[in-house]
Order: sequence, then structure tokens, then C-alpha cells
Amino acid sequence: MNWDIQRRETWLYEANPSLKLIVLVMLFFAVLFIHNPNVLINVSLALFVLFCFGTGYPANVLFWLFLPFFLVFVSTASSMMMFGEGTTTWFRWGLIHVTAESFWRGVHIGFRALALGLLGLIFSLTTRPVPLFYSLMQQLRLKPKYAYSFLAAVRLLPIMLEEFQAIRYALTVRGVPNKGVLSKMKRYAIPLLSQSIRRAQRIAVAMEAKQFSGSGRRTFYYEIGFGKYDIWLVALFAALMFAAYYVGVHYPYISISDVR
Amino acid sequence: MEVKTKGLKLADILTTIVIAIVFGIIYKLWAPLYSAVGAVGFHLDQLIYGMWFIASSLAYLLIRKPGVALLAEIAASSGELIMGSQWGLEVLIYGVVQGLFAELVFAAFRYRRFDVFVVSLGAVGATIGSLIMDFYKGYIEALAPWNMALFLLARFIGAILISGVLAVSLAKALEKTGVTQMWRPASKDDYDALNR
Repeated sequence: MNWDIQRRETWLYEANPSLKLIVLVMLFFAVLFIHNPNVLINVSLALFVLFCFGTGYPANVLFWLFLPFFLVFVSTASSMMMFGEGTTTWFRWGLIHVTAESFWRGVHIGFRALALGLLGLIFSLTTRPVPLFYSLMQQLRLKPKYAYSFLAAVRLLPIMLEEFQAIRYALTVRGVPNKGVLSKMKRYAIPLLSQSIRRAQRIAVAMEAKQFSGSGRRTFYYEIGFGKYDIWLVALFAALMFAAYYVGVHYPYISISDVR
Repeated sequence: MEVKTKGLKLADILTTIVIAIVFGIIYKLWAPLYSAVGAVGFHLDQLIYGMWFIASSLAYLLIRKPGVALLAEIAASSGELIMGSQWGLEVLIYGVVQGLFAELVFAAFRYRRFDVFVVSLGAVGATIGSLIMDFYKGYIEALAPWNMALFLLARFIGAILISGVLAVSLAKALEKTGVTQMWRPASKDDYDALNR
């Protein structure tokens, strides 16, 4: 996504978007099947380092981007710690019941949430939408009518934001009372959605006239292929996972090797 | 002239995706709210979880074609991902699974019923999809039984209220604006009027 933020485009931006998506989805499932907290902590740390130095964003932006992930980490971990089941009780107060098992399980799923979040953030920070959809069409054979619809919809976003502002001003000028969550939601949602649907239908007519819906062979303005950065990408993540696994198994931080 | 293609037409796809992207923004904004409500505890956050299924319900109600529920949920979650969701890649995979389960419910009714009951069932389907993912991700089975029951109850009720009841009322309000005329230029009432 293009925010107006100064950033340095690192080599991760140059890797093939489809390949990057596939690699990261595979890592996603790999992380789901890690049950050793030592390995998972290493994976999270490695991804955090990549997030800090691989995405090319300035430190203050990275901080604000990371903050919600930290909150997810804390909330995921704490709810499991306080209300999970276990036999070795550490602390009990009313419904809150902290046990050794639930504590480590909480730490584990906290780090898991963190690792999964970082995977997605690394992807969305280093991938521009236009090359992504062109690559999906060329490498993964996504039908052009889907890909171009996505791209057109992304282009409509700024118009929707403008409309949102316009509705807000209009409601203020008319002195519409600013209360009632449900009625307020409808006051915004109905005009925004109906206008968007009308606009989408008009654009669809234009796109159909220009054969964007055709199923024949087509050429592309941007040709997206593979290069040396794709090899780097695969090598980097393979090395990262292997190192995390090796260090986690041979030099553990805690003696638990399976939290299940 | 354009040959008749199978599956969804470009107009259906584009409209579905545009609706979905609007909800993608709401999904993204919903995340901090969810976290804030979660801080209250007692799984109150689960009551608002259902918002993350509404794109599939609404797209199904408006466009009424096979596949739009799945497409809408995928599009909304990828919109959320591109905007930098705090759950990252997870939302896309959750979106696929949730959309698939909602779609299966609508398919079971052969895409012929568009009332609160069927849409609520679709929301329940999506909830089951989300729970399957949670099961793999978060060891939710390790929660104590009373806690687990509260968690499930809150999520199902929230889903039915938001993605079932609220989605139907939104769809009805949108029908009044006339935007659905393009897909359904003549309703059954119109034909009945001719036969009178």
C-alpha cells in the first residue's frame, strides 16, 4: 500500500510478488505447526529483525506499525495465561488461575501471533498492489477479470474517503444529531455503499466494453518475471527457519520443548 | 459481441470487490476496537467478532449469485491485509476459510433463499470456519470449560446479530436506494402485477 512515507525500497520489493506470497503462506502454516516455544521465539526474533532492517521504513514509522502487534501479543498471551487449564498452580484469584502449563502456552501463542503478524506486515510493506496483481495474473493464472476488478476497486478508495468526508460535512451542516451507534452507522454506510455500487456498475460497463472481461490470451503492460532476488528470498527464509530450528533445539531458553 | 462466459460477470465481480473493499476498511478499523473491548475481558470482544463475516453476507444478499460470498470475504480480507492488519497474513487465510463456510451454507440452499434465517446460518458457517482456524492457531481447546462455553456463545450470538440481522437490514435499506435494479430489473411482484 502506498502511504506517503519516505522509505527506501529494499531488495525485498524486487522479488516476485507471487513467489513472496507463496513463501510467506508456507511459512504461515509452518509456524502453525511449531509447538516448541524455543524455536518459535527464535522465528519471531528473526522476523522482527527482518521487519526492522528489511522493509526500508524509518524507525518511528516502524514503531507505530509495530505497536498494535505488541498489543495483540500481550492480549493473546495474557488471556491464555490467566484462564487456561493446567495442573501446576502458580497463582489463583477468583476466576484467574495461572498455572505453569497455561503460562508457557500463553507465551507460546503470544509469540505465534507475533510471528504471524510480522509475516503479513513484511508482505504488505514490501509489496506494491499493481505488480502484485500483474504477477498473480502472469504467474498464478488469476483471471484478468478478477485482477483488474481488484485494481479498479483499490483506485476507488480515495474517492470513497472523499465521499465519507462529504457526508460528514453534510450531516454537520444540517445539524443531524450525532448519536445512536446503529443509526449513525446507517447514515454513513448506506450512501457510501450505494454510491460505490453505482460507480462500480458504471466502471464495469466501461471495462467490459474494453474487453477486460475477455477470456482470451492477453498481453500485459507490466511483464513480471523472476530474478536473482527471488533466489535470495527463498534462501533467506530457508536459512532463517533452519537457524531458528537448530538454535531452538540445541540451545533452548526454557526446558519445555512442547507446549501441547 | 462478447461471448457468454461462465461464472460471474465482470460487473458482478467488480461490485462484489468494491463492497468488500469498503468492508475491508471497516475490518481494519474493527481490529483496534476488538482489542480495546478484549481488554474488558470475559470474552466481550467475541460479541463483535461477527463483523468480520459481514462482507460475505451482504454481497450474497445484494448480488445473489454463486461464489460472491467467498469472493467478498477474500477481497475484504486481502484489503485488510494490504492496509496492514495487526494479524497479518492470518486474516487472508481466515477470510478464505470463513468465506468458504458461508458459501457452503448458501450453496446448501441452492442460492434461492435470501432471508434472515439463511444469512444467519451463513454467519454461523463463517463462525465455524473461524473457530477451525482458531483451533489450529491458539489452542482454544485448552481454555477451561466454562470459559470456552462463554467464548463460543459470545461469538455465535455476535455473528448472528451482526452478519445475519444487521446485514439483512443494511441490504433492505440499500434495495430502497435502487442500486440493485441492475441485477434484478423486474421483481416477482412486477410479474404478479401483470397477471392480475
